[in-house]
Amino acid sequence: MTSDTNLTRRRYLQGTGAAGAALTMAGCLGGGGDGDSDGGTTDTDGTTSSSGGQELEIVHWWTAGGEADALEALVEGFEEEYPEVTVTNNAAPGGAGSALDTEIQSRILNNNPPSTFQIWPGESLNTYLESDVLVDIGESVWDQEMRDAYLDGVKQLSQPDGDFVAVPLNIHRLNNLFYNVDVVESAGVDPSSLSSPADVLSAMETIRAETDATPMIHQTQAPWSSIQLWEDILVGSAGVDVYQDVLAGNVAANEQAVRDALQTLADYSDYFNEDAGSVAWDQANNEVIQGNAAFLHQGDWAAGQYKTAEDFDYGDDWDYVPFPGTDGIYHVVTDSFVMPTSNPSPEATEKWLSYCGSVDGQERFNPIKGSIPPRTDVPDEEFGPFLTEQREDFNDSSAQPPTIAHGTGVTPEVKSNIEGVFSSFNGSWNVDNAYNGLTNAF
Amino acid sequence: MRSRILRVLGASDEDDPETAEPDVRTDGGTTSDAAAASGETSRLGQWLDSEFAKSLPFWLPATLLVGLFVYGAIGWNFLISLTDWQGLRQPTYESLDFEMYTRFFDSVFAGGLLSGPQEYWALRNTFVLLVVFTVAALAVGLLLAILVDRDIRFENTFRTIYLLPMSLSFVVTAIFWAWMYNPESGLINQTLGAVGLGSLAQQWISDPQYKLFAVMFALVWQFSGYAMVVYLAGLRAIPSDQYEAAKVDGASLLKMYWRVIVPQLRASTTSAAVVLMVFALKAFDFLYVMFGTRPGPSADILAMMMYRESFGTTNWAYGSAIAMILFALALGVIAPYLYLQFKRGEL
Repeated sequence: MTSDTNLTRRRYLQGTGAAGAALTMAGCLGGGGDGDSDGGTTDTDGTTSSSGGQELEIVHWWTAGGEADALEALVEGFEEEYPEVTVTNNAAPGGAGSALDTEIQSRILNNNPPSTFQIWPGESLNTYLESDVLVDIGESVWDQEMRDAYLDGVKQLSQPDGDFVAVPLNIHRLNNLFYNVDVVESAGVDPSSLSSPADVLSAMETIRAETDATPMIHQTQAPWSSIQLWEDILVGSAGVDVYQDVLAGNVAANEQAVRDALQTLADYSDYFNEDAGSVAWDQANNEVIQGNAAFLHQGDWAAGQYKTAEDFDYGDDWDYVPFPGTDGIYHVVTDSFVMPTSNPSPEATEKWLSYCGSVDGQERFNPIKGSIPPRTDVPDEEFGPFLTEQREDFNDSSAQPPTIAHGTGVTPEVKSNIEGVFSSFNGSWNVDNAYNGLTNAF
Repeated sequence: MRSRILRVLGASDEDDPETAEPDVRTDGGTTSDAAAASGETSRLGQWLDSEFAKSLPFWLPATLLVGLFVYGAIGWNFLISLTDWQGLRQPTYESLDFEMYTRFFDSVFAGGLLSGPQEYWALRNTFVLLVVFTVAALAVGLLLAILVDRDIRFENTFRTIYLLPMSLSFVVTAIFWAWMYNPESGLINQTLGAVGLGSLAQQWISDPQYKLFAVMFALVWQFSGYAMVVYLAGLRAIPSDQYEAAKVDGASLLKMYWRVIVPQLRASTTSAAVVLMVFALKAFDFLYVMFGTRPGPSADILAMMMYRESFGTTNWAYGSAIAMILFALALGVIAPYLYLQFKRGEL
């Protein structure tokens, strides 16, 4: 009796075990099948794209408030213009593309890229160009009309290897010195009279002596803010040519300028908010809004935060000057879209890229994003007073250099090395080590 | 549980010969000349009837899955680390060598014993984290366990309070420790200031001197509760006569714990230590939330560097090599434990 029940139970168990095994096998087979059907989809997509009804998958990192709204507006405009294309809006959240890179790279390696994805143009395309995975869109997207509308510095960024591969959609300016008007006035400092990075130092000294406010807001939690500040100190004290030469890798040839800029940054650090190492830049920026701090060096995305703050108006409560010494220069931070090879929807992607390069697209996107359009012929009406001024500066600018901190100026490898240098410079402020690190970084 | 399984297996051991033997006997008896065909079937039948075949459905699926997705992946990762794969092309497996490993260890030793490039700092910090964090978490956990074990009131409440941090995600704990460590408004510096120790206030997570310490302190806070639970189970397993005997012999409280109780917690210590070390190797999430991918040399760890090399600069082969080194570290931690268990016959 007992052995009988034992047997049946065992047989029952065996049965389930076998069923489990069968299921696993089926699972494996299913997996194999998936792989096959994947291959199939690219085929079918190829055919659908030639027949008309198309699906466009956009991968981007614009998920925060204003950015997300701006992209929404852009997509809406695109769908009005090209109703036959369905847009799949696939966000990869994570500031400055930290998660997006991972996703895009693995998808390209699996030969399953999206229709288009967001990326900084310029040298940060290097990884993709080296592996030859971006389509040359010089013919299909960059027509003469579009080429005429873009400034040279930006066009350069779209064709790092000679062929046009990217379409810049928006431009932020990096070399701004924002300030709280009340704080600066009560200290008796006139920002527009500052003419070099060294002047900023003496202004901060005055602010510390005259008021209780923090002279400058900064964050050293992640290295990028210090990198961009160092970039502008270098441009402001040694000029654009020296800066471009450093970007080209000639650090040792410009030793004095690089060291001086590092030293100036180290001197600045005395005037930073005490909690610079523990906060994000926008957290710190609240101090400027509340009148507890005077200066902020940051890209003009900082203006978006001032705009949303209550009772904090442009001109009356906050204002900006081009970072002292960089007048007439528009230090460009820009985002672009590209077209990967093995594209699931080549035609729809071309339409999207053309739309990103059009007046309509840039007019919808940029006012909401708080950036200026790279095209110089977009009408002014939609842009507020701050952006209109920035646009004038841009159109009149003598140089539009790229940036290290935001990927356009150096390859990802070099950028990573420089980040390593500044992650230890932040906190140690050791100029010799940082200089040696920079010479090895390129 | 394990002994019950053994008993079941033992039972089937006894069962099988009984069922198998008569078969053999009848087989051998009836078919002596029609050998080949029926011999085959009987061998198949025999095989199907064997312990091995019968146990197949139980362990084979899991073994295949684990083999493919765990050991297969590790093996493939090792293979990639031998290539020169970088960029977004497919890897080539033609020239396999240990170049990535020599590159790593060359960099580690490039700057001497006290400094060097990122490889040196990542490896050093990983070691420090492994040792200091584990020892500290064990010590705090043991102390808590002994306190909670002393028949206090609200024992369960305290146990829950101490264990709670472990149930929180690294993302949550990293963010609120970043708040606590804020040198201006953070709780730690404020408290120090309030009790008149303002001179001890530091830039906890920006001063390179304290960065790793601050991270380890937060991790100890999060995981000592786990060590406490393991130790508590160990303490409960010690018969109370031993406490009484020690008391009768006139041992002081300290001496009793040190001489009688703690030595019996060796098994708890090893098992808790292994888990804690694995957590130390996985501190990636915590650092990533606090500092992004660049914590700076004073708090960089191998896992962070591996991520940067692979996904930041697409040096896949180098990233894989770092992953293998990390794997070897983890294995080095667990191997003695497994060996000990094996020797004690508990495996």
